Amino acid sequence: MSTLSVPAGTAPATAKPAAKKVTGSTGKRRLPLLPALIFVIAVTQIPFLLTLFYSFQSWNLVRPGSRHFVGFRNYVDVFTDTTFLGALLNTVVLTVVCVFLSLLLGLGLAVLLDRKFFGRGFVRTLLITPFLILPAAGALLWKTTVFDPSFGLLHFVFGTDTDWLSQFPMAAVMAQIIWQWTPFMTLLILAGLQSQSKEVLEAASVDGASRWRTFVSITLPHLSRFLQLATLLGAIYIVNSFDAIFLMTQGGPGTASTNLPFYIYQRAFEGFDIGQSSAMGVVVVILTMIVATFALRLMFRAFSVDGGVK
Amino acid sequence: MSTATATASPAATDTAPPPQRKTKRRYGPGTLTVATWIIAILFVFPLLWMILTAFKQENDAYTDPPKLFFSPTFDQISGVLNSGFLPYLGNSAFVTVISTLLVLLLGIPAAYALSLAPVKGTKNALGFFLSTKMLPIVAAIIPLYVISQNTNLLDTVWALIILYTAMNLPLAIWMMRSFFLEVPGEMIEAARIDGANLPTLLRKIIMPVVAPGIAATALICVIFSWTEFFYAVNLTAARAGTVPVFLVGFITSEGLYWAQLSAAALLASLPVMIVGWIAQNHLVRGLSMGAVK
Amino acid sequence: MSAEVIYDKASRVYPGNPGVRAVDQLSLEVPDGDFLVLVGPSGSGKSTALRMLAGLEDVNEGAIRIGDRDVTDLPPKDRDIAMVFQSYALYPHMTVADNMGFALKLRGFSAADIKKRVDEAATMLDLSRFLDRKPKALSGGQRQRVAMGRAIVREPSVFLMDEPLSNLDAKLRVETRANIAKLQQRLGTTTIYVTHDQVEAMTMGDRVAVLKDGVLQQCDAPRSLYEKPANSFVAGFIGSPAMNLATLPLSDGGVQLGDLVVPLPTAVRTAAAGLSEIVFGIRPESLRLVGEADEGFELVVELVEELGADAYLHGKVGDDRFVVRVDGRTPPRIGDNVRVALRGEGETHAFDPKTTLRLG
Repeated sequence: MSTLSVPAGTAPATAKPAAKKVTGSTGKRRLPLLPALIFVIAVTQIPFLLTLFYSFQSWNLVRPGSRHFVGFRNYVDVFTDTTFLGALLNTVVLTVVCVFLSLLLGLGLAVLLDRKFFGRGFVRTLLITPFLILPAAGALLWKTTVFDPSFGLLHFVFGTDTDWLSQFPMAAVMAQIIWQWTPFMTLLILAGLQSQSKEVLEAASVDGASRWRTFVSITLPHLSRFLQLATLLGAIYIVNSFDAIFLMTQGGPGTASTNLPFYIYQRAFEGFDIGQSSAMGVVVVILTMIVATFALRLMFRAFSVDGGVK
Repeated sequence: MSTATATASPAATDTAPPPQRKTKRRYGPGTLTVATWIIAILFVFPLLWMILTAFKQENDAYTDPPKLFFSPTFDQISGVLNSGFLPYLGNSAFVTVISTLLVLLLGIPAAYALSLAPVKGTKNALGFFLSTKMLPIVAAIIPLYVISQNTNLLDTVWALIILYTAMNLPLAIWMMRSFFLEVPGEMIEAARIDGANLPTLLRKIIMPVVAPGIAATALICVIFSWTEFFYAVNLTAARAGTVPVFLVGFITSEGLYWAQLSAAALLASLPVMIVGWIAQNHLVRGLSMGAVK
Repeated sequence: MSAEVIYDKASRVYPGNPGVRAVDQLSLEVPDGDFLVLVGPSGSGKSTALRMLAGLEDVNEGAIRIGDRDVTDLPPKDRDIAMVFQSYALYPHMTVADNMGFALKLRGFSAADIKKRVDEAATMLDLSRFLDRKPKALSGGQRQRVAMGRAIVREPSVFLMDEPLSNLDAKLRVETRANIAKLQQRLGTTTIYVTHDQVEAMTMGDRVAVLKDGVLQQCDAPRSLYEKPANSFVAGFIGSPAMNLATLPLSDGGVQLGDLVVPLPTAVRTAAAGLSEIVFGIRPESLRLVGEADEGFELVVELVEELGADAYLHGKVGDDRFVVRVDGRTPPRIGDNVRVALRGEGETHAFDPKTTLRLG
């Protein structure tokens, strides 16, 4: 009946399709939903409609009074803007790589944590902490104490004077983001591991499955919903990454590490080009919607809106 | 019946998770544990280093090789506290608390309507809420800036409160909905037979049962509000700035002094770090949307 | 306080095309103070019927009355009923005392009255020591008793119980079964009890109503159900192990069972006039082993279930499987050929193969 709840060992209360209706007419029952719905529509949809409106105008704050309609010209400019296309590519690379690697690391750490050992609680506390610090603090921390060419920890470990941020800007930014999001993935996957029925694992070992085999054939399929959830939540936040790029590389050198959020920000708040940046915003929304149509379907599976525990 | 009464405590473990799992270990118990510890410490080393650096003098911070042992000092901490940190901390606390309360105020009834009293269109409403999370926030920042300016909300805490509420509400509704769905149907029926009307049912039966889930949701909202950067940097400054704004302002005005920066980063993160440490289990529960009790 | 319960052609139809008739035209009268058990396989509509009485399911056709009140459209809280759920449905955040007193509190009883009634019920159920505990800290049996207590303190006109024992282990179930029956006798409150376990049904109920596919098959005292099942479904459902049922050709004197011609009572023969075959039923305990030379039929033993006092022989006569109860001390072995005869007259059953109804 509920979302991720695990069939094994749940209370028999779920065994029968007990009608969950609570008295109240349909109209009245809709009422509690409305404030939240109206609020979210107002705060998220109205600005977007304005973005759409601005995107058809030539409007630069540096030249007051020059505001006028230009039709689709901003869009033409956006698609011929190689920086925009580069930023789009960077965004895709950054999101895919960061989600995948943090998921993989998270899986590894979760498996390590899913056993009894001395100091388990403390180790878990350590591991979740990067998720709890300000991303801004994390970004500055990595920029300075990790990546600094003369005094950074990497300099000390490798003994080179490599300027990581200018030679490998994307990799550096991604490393920081992965570091920040791995704890999130670890926690989610750990929750999945701990919800696994011990009897199923025991059954597998009685059946003669090796530990690796058990993990691949039993545990991973069990985790799939948790992995989907982690992927989606992670992607939603990582695709919007701004802090790390803003604070570590400013999108540079050049535009080597510029992603879409940072580029649009730059055009709007440094170039003051409202029309252009709005058009980019609209394009990003449309692209996101295309991806999200597929993602939402996945999401509905992950959350099982239909309420079906198979 | 009398035989059953005698066995109160052993049977109490009926529902409690089995205290430990028996796993056969091929390696001695020590090897993997040591490896886990080493990996964990390596993983959080940048963070540990930040904490160390926060208690260094600047000249101990810039050394090659890095210094592990030094005479600790509170100079940097007090330096940060004396450079106008507290108002930012106040803003962060205010924005976080109020927006989280608003999320609960708006979200609890919505989650209830989408779970225990579902109406037609439930799926669409859920889909809509989720889809707003997928809208890239940059796409709306320009109008938000313009609107805030025109309504005199620019550089006020209220602009952030409104935005953070809208930002966290969809996920919160999803989470709380799954907690509501876990309320056993038979228990609600029992309460109705006992004579509970809707307000009583909500107040006396459902809310106490979902309270841990709501706490978990609130914790997630607190974390996301406290650490939010983009809106804060673009819509607030000296007057209503939150701790991330302080951090950015701090480096631009002071230059990159590592020890001081580390102290500032530590202080800015500390409240949420402590809350998160204490409520770890809630965090797991919230993130996994009630999959783990 | 207590009251009679009447189902008057009550139906529950789930919307759909065609609608699913979970309970179909149920008519039942439960006299004041009676203990009625609703029994049937899963999906038979027994729980739905109970929930209709509770007000948790709509009544789409017909009516339900408690005492002289028509409760068909009343909300659960106004029906003066108390229910014990399969999962017990205890409020996890309340102590045992609060769980039991919750309904009274909502009905505006004074704290002193609530305490008095809760204490009484707790004494009755041997729960006095646990009043301050939360349900989490109780064993399964104790939780079950709290659920009972919650119903008792209400002093309702009707108790409803929906498989209240199915989460207990076998030993505790037998114990609790007896306790519930005793308690009901002592309180004299009309009780409707749902179970899928026919042993529970037979041992607890004053009367037992057998349901199948939403339709009432028979409602009678346990002994009558056992001795005169109204149709072949009830015949097969009531009794453990189940009655042997076989479709056999009718001959002049009776039915042909292997070498044996089993005579049928006149009433049955009259009722079966015009039929070429009937469904013949005989309980395992109505059969016995006889010597080689005696009259009987041959059974090849395929399986022996030894229960200590008794043993059950499973075997085949022609294509029909039969179970025979024999003395547990010297049972035949698998593969043996045994000769079986009827224990006595009047223990045979006959049903119409088409309508499944009892003949005679």
